[in-house]
Order: sequence, then structure tokens, then C-alpha cells
Amino acid sequence: MKPGRTNNVTGYLFIAPWLIGFFVFTFIPFLQSIYLSFTRYNIITPPRWVGFANYQMLLTQDELFWKSALVTVKFAVIHVPLAVVVGVCLALLLNREVKGIAAYRTIFFLPSIVPTVATSVVFLWILNPTTGLINNLLRNFGIQGPAWLNDPFWAFWALVIMSLWGVGGSMVIYLAGLKDIPVHLYEAAIIDGATPIKRLRHVTLPMLSPVIFFNLVMGVIGAFQYFTQAYVMTPNGGPQDSTLFYSLYLFNRAWKYYDMGYASAMAWILFLIVVTLTAIVFRSQKKWVHYG
Amino acid sequence: MVKNLKWVAFLLLALGFGAFVFSQKPPSQRKYQDRIEVRFWHRWGGEWAKVVADIAERYNQSQTKYEVVPLSVPGSGADAKLTLGIIGGNPPDVMSMWNGAIPSLASNGLLTPLEEVMSPADQDRFMNESYPVIRDSGRFGGKTYGVTIGSDLYALYVNEEHLKELGLNVEDFPKTLEGVCELGNRLNKTDANGNLTRLGFLLNSFSFVAYNFGPGFYDPVSESLSLNTAENLRALEFITEERRKIGFERVTRFQAGLNTGSDTGGWPFITGDLSITIDGQWRVEEIRKYRPDMKYRVIPIPPPAKNGRGMGGTISGNFMVIPTSAKQKEGAWDFIRFWSGFADKEASARCFNDGGWLPLFPDLVETKTFQAWLKQGPEFQGFIDILSSENCLPMPPVPYLQFLNDQIGRAEDQAVRGTLSPKSALEKLSYTVAEEQRKRKALGYEE
Repeated sequence: MKPGRTNNVTGYLFIAPWLIGFFVFTFIPFLQSIYLSFTRYNIITPPRWVGFANYQMLLTQDELFWKSALVTVKFAVIHVPLAVVVGVCLALLLNREVKGIAAYRTIFFLPSIVPTVATSVVFLWILNPTTGLINNLLRNFGIQGPAWLNDPFWAFWALVIMSLWGVGGSMVIYLAGLKDIPVHLYEAAIIDGATPIKRLRHVTLPMLSPVIFFNLVMGVIGAFQYFTQAYVMTPNGGPQDSTLFYSLYLFNRAWKYYDMGYASAMAWILFLIVVTLTAIVFRSQKKWVHYG
Repeated sequence: MVKNLKWVAFLLLALGFGAFVFSQKPPSQRKYQDRIEVRFWHRWGGEWAKVVADIAERYNQSQTKYEVVPLSVPGSGADAKLTLGIIGGNPPDVMSMWNGAIPSLASNGLLTPLEEVMSPADQDRFMNESYPVIRDSGRFGGKTYGVTIGSDLYALYVNEEHLKELGLNVEDFPKTLEGVCELGNRLNKTDANGNLTRLGFLLNSFSFVAYNFGPGFYDPVSESLSLNTAENLRALEFITEERRKIGFERVTRFQAGLNTGSDTGGWPFITGDLSITIDGQWRVEEIRKYRPDMKYRVIPIPPPAKNGRGMGGTISGNFMVIPTSAKQKEGAWDFIRFWSGFADKEASARCFNDGGWLPLFPDLVETKTFQAWLKQGPEFQGFIDILSSENCLPMPPVPYLQFLNDQIGRAEDQAVRGTLSPKSALEKLSYTVAEEQRKRKALGYEE
């Protein structure tokens, strides 16, 4: 066997455990769900072919489908840019060489490694309208805080605010991106008389754009799959369905009502939306992402 | 050479550690190794799980053939776990399931019709001697899929001390729903900012209260749902109006600050935050445990002044089901017999008393054990009285009951928030459920 081929075989053998797991637990179910989305399937009895009925009902008769899609799009439109801005700002702050910076970085990163369910439970207390931390703080200033998760308007915003809790994960990637920007670019800009704002605008952000692009793509995908926090904090979709996220409704359809075919159709519509949006973001990168 | 040896030593160490870890078997829960194992899943956790474990142990000591091994599977996804267990070929032999999940599980072929394991004598006792409302809550499509090991029912809990503050005795308690609401408003307490510090009474739970106004959500004659009815509209209008009087926002804030712990003695009625409240019969046992000195009464929810139905309600609770692919169906049924009252009535009564659950058979109430227990918590009798009422009806026996209950809850939420009028909320409920029925029909679910 040629040395190159031997290397390939060795390489594949090393990644075989992952490959097997990926095919068995991800790729094959992924393909199966295409078929299931055209069936009536309740897990127990064999799937029964129903053609486009699931898709037709979803798009024409299911009010909650549209509601949940709207909630999710609204969340994505608000959360994704907000997470990018907060992440970049935090990274810029933590990129400064001040005493104890390692400790600050750790503090900001820590929330992102706390399990989501634990975070959600803590936030249930923080957002309690009567005994919660936020409303108690507001009360000190004579302000009566909102009812948060019991209020159709604030329930959504409570989840948006909470979603920023884990921004430390992307912050670390931005920080790594900032460290990769060559110092000579800043030196040249300073010699040319660029102000800090101009250096940020014309050096930092363009050089950071590949990292922003990566986080943007991941953020869009994550926002459309937002589930755990909504499930733990508002399992029934919140007051007036204000936090009925697409994935939450999909989960309820699948596991509460045993409507796997319908849920598979929902999953494929979600997949197509995410793929389309990701493709749009990819196409747009020529205009704003700078590689070196 | 030394480097290679280090690697070999490291690999051997890692392999040895791995072999040790994987060779460790989890500690066995079996106590009677020579008996046939009956795997029992239930949804209780914490203190309640200990009660259930004690009952299982008493069963194990009562005979020598089977060993029931209980496993707590708490959480809202218990039915999903059961489904996965069945599909994965490793289901429990018997599971305690919320009765609302039975129609869906049964219609999907997941549950064993219990007639297959019941003797003719057991069937006869079950069909003719049990409380009809409990019996029918475990039945679907003319077959029995679940037998209760503890049903739940709701009534009013009234704090006598709070009534005394107004110079009232519990004997003067209002006989109409309007009267209770009025009394509740008098019992409310607020702080300087107008925030509630004590809630007199809040009428909620449309899915339960509707039975005090009419026959609920199902017409057994036409065997179909009856959602948008005049009685249900009156019930929803009543609930909405009472909520409006107290103030939706005020109640929401007050409730959010209440302790929701169910088995820690922190129930807001015990702590005095609620004067009159609708709650389940298991609270009698809770009060007996944590506030035995508390002066309170259990009173059935009175009907509205006009065209009401006294002693109305519906039951929910824990029903034993046997999965179709269970390996030890006979053992499972033997355990159900022990707990539910088909075998030793005194032993069964003790099981129901341990958790403060409602029994399947009226004759269990007559046992010495039950009567002795009733003496310690006489308020429980109020719930037993409701059970016999013809206005206490089972939930609609439809396979999409989870969906229906969600939609009924949604209609109540929309009405009390004022998003929709009660009339529109009911119309929407009716429309949404009809759409779901059409969808299920089109997809061949009901064939």
C-alpha cells in the first residue's frame, strides 16, 4: 500500500468512532426524517404515507406554527446582532492589558460553561416579580418591575436578556481574533494619525470580520434552534404564546402529542429556513468580510 | 527506549482503569434475588418516592413470588420516557401514569387492556364496585387500561382562623359560588401600595370549575366533545369577571411570590397566604404532617346561584398501566391488585392513606385502617363525598386529551388576561380543537 493511502486509512481509523456515531445517530436519522415528514408517524405504529398533508396543514391551518415562527424570527433578529455587539464590546474591553485581566476574562467566560438548565432555574428566581433580584433592585429606586415571565411582553424580553448571559463563549473567540490582528497595522494607523475610533472602524473590525462572520452564522443557527431556556422557564410557551419558540412547539408536537411526522415536517421547514439564511450570510461575506 | 516504556506503562494504566470502570456493576436494587422481578416506574420524587418505596416493600413482604423494584421517573416527560422504554424493548412491567395520558398511549397501542390479566372476579369487582368516575378515567374505547392507585380531586380549603377575623364561623360558609367570591374579597389583605399580602379566594381552573356549571367538555350521549356550550361560557365569564375584580396584575404578582413547594409544608394555605383555595385531597395529609394544629375545613366548591351543579368536578391522578411489551404482566397485575384493593382491603387502605389518595372502591373507606386514618384527618371525608356525586365526571376520553387540556388552559388564559372575551376564547377553543380533529382524521389517526 502506498504511504499516502496508508496515512489516509490511519486517519480514517482514528476518526472512525466519531464517523460511526455521526452516521448512526445524526446522518441516517436526518435522512429518515425527510421520509417521516411525508408520513403520519406516532413512533409506535409504522409510518403511513400522507404525501404533502403535513406541510399543507402546517402552512395553511396551523395558527401556532406561524405564531412560533414569528416568535423565533423576532428573537433571531434581536438576539443575533445584540450578541455580536455585546460579544465584540466585551472582547475589546477584555483585550486591554490591565492588572487582573485574566480574572476578568474568566469571570465573563464562566456563565457560558454553566449548564443551561441550571442557568434557567437561577433566572426563574432572578425574574420573579415579587421576590426576584431584578425587581428587588428596581424597588430600591421606587420602580415597580414588570411581571417578567407572567407578562406577554416582558416574557419574550426576559429570554432575550437571558440569552446574553452566555455571550462569554463567543467573547473568547472574538478575543482570540483580536489577538491575531498584527500590531503593525495599528502602528501604521497611529503614524497616519488615526483616532481610536478610526482604528476600530478601519483596522479592528475589518480584521475581526472573519470571526464576526463565524459567530454570526453560528448565532443565526442557534437562534432558530433556541429551545432549552424556553422549555425550562415557560414550558407551555409563556403567556399568550409569547415564548412559544419554533423548537418548543416542534418538541411538543413530537413528544407531547406523538406527532412525529408533523414534527419532522416542521424540522425540515426549519432546516430550509436556516440553510437559506446561512446561504444569504455566506453570499454577503464578499462585501464585508476581510481575510488578511 | 525509556520513552517507549513510559508510553506502554501509560497505556496499560489507562486500559486497566477503563477495564475497572466498565467492570463495575451498579449496586443492585434487588433484595429478593430468587423472586421474579417486577419493574415499577412511578412519577413521584422526594418524600413521595419514599412513601411509594415503602408500599412496594410492603407488597414484597406480603408474598414470596414477586419482587417489585420501584424506580422514580419524575418530571413532565414521564410518558415520553415510557414510550421510549417500550420502543427500545425495555419498558417497565408496570407504571404509574397520569390518567390524562392514557387515551393517547392506549390509542397508540402502547398499553395492555387489563382485561387480559384480570380474573373474571376482578373484572366484576372493578366494573360493579368501584367509583364510576375513577373507573371510567382509566378506560378508553370500551376497555380498561389503567387502574388507580391514588386519584386526585379538588375542593375548597377554608382557613377557619381567617373567617373568625371577620366574625364568621365556618358553619356560615356561603352556599353559592358568588357568595364564596364575595367572602374572598373581604378576606383579601393589601399593603400600603395596594399589593396583595393575603389572597382571600381566587376562582380559577376552568377545566375543573366548568363541572360546577354544566357537564363539562364531553357529551357521553353523542360521544363527542362539547366545548362551546352555554354552561362553559357562563363558567368562563364567571372566572374572568372574578379575576377582573381582584385585578389580573395584582394576582399574578402575588402568586409569583408564593412558595410552590408541594411536599415541604410550604403550601401557601398552610403559611396563611391564602384564606380559601381550591386544591387537592392530598393536602389533608400534608396539613396533618406539617400543621396538625391548623383549623381548617374542606368544603365542596358550591355551585353558582343559578343553574349550578353541586358537588361537581373531575378527577385526575395516578393510574397503573401495563405496557404491551411488558415482560411480567402477571406480576404487575398482582402488585396492582395489592395496592388498588382487589386483594387485602386493609393493606390496600393503608397504601391509599400513606399518600392521602382517593381509593378506587367505596368499601375501602369502610375498612378499620381507613376509618382510623379518617379520624386523624376528618376533612378528607369531603372529597369522598364528592366522588359519589353524579356531577363528578371523568375527563373527555379522547386520544388527544393532552392537546385538549392545553387548549382549555389557553382559552382560560386568554379570557382572564382580557386578550379575548370569554365568548371569543371559547369559540377559538372550539375552532382550534375542530381543526386538530380534522387534521387527525385527514392523517388517518382515528381509524
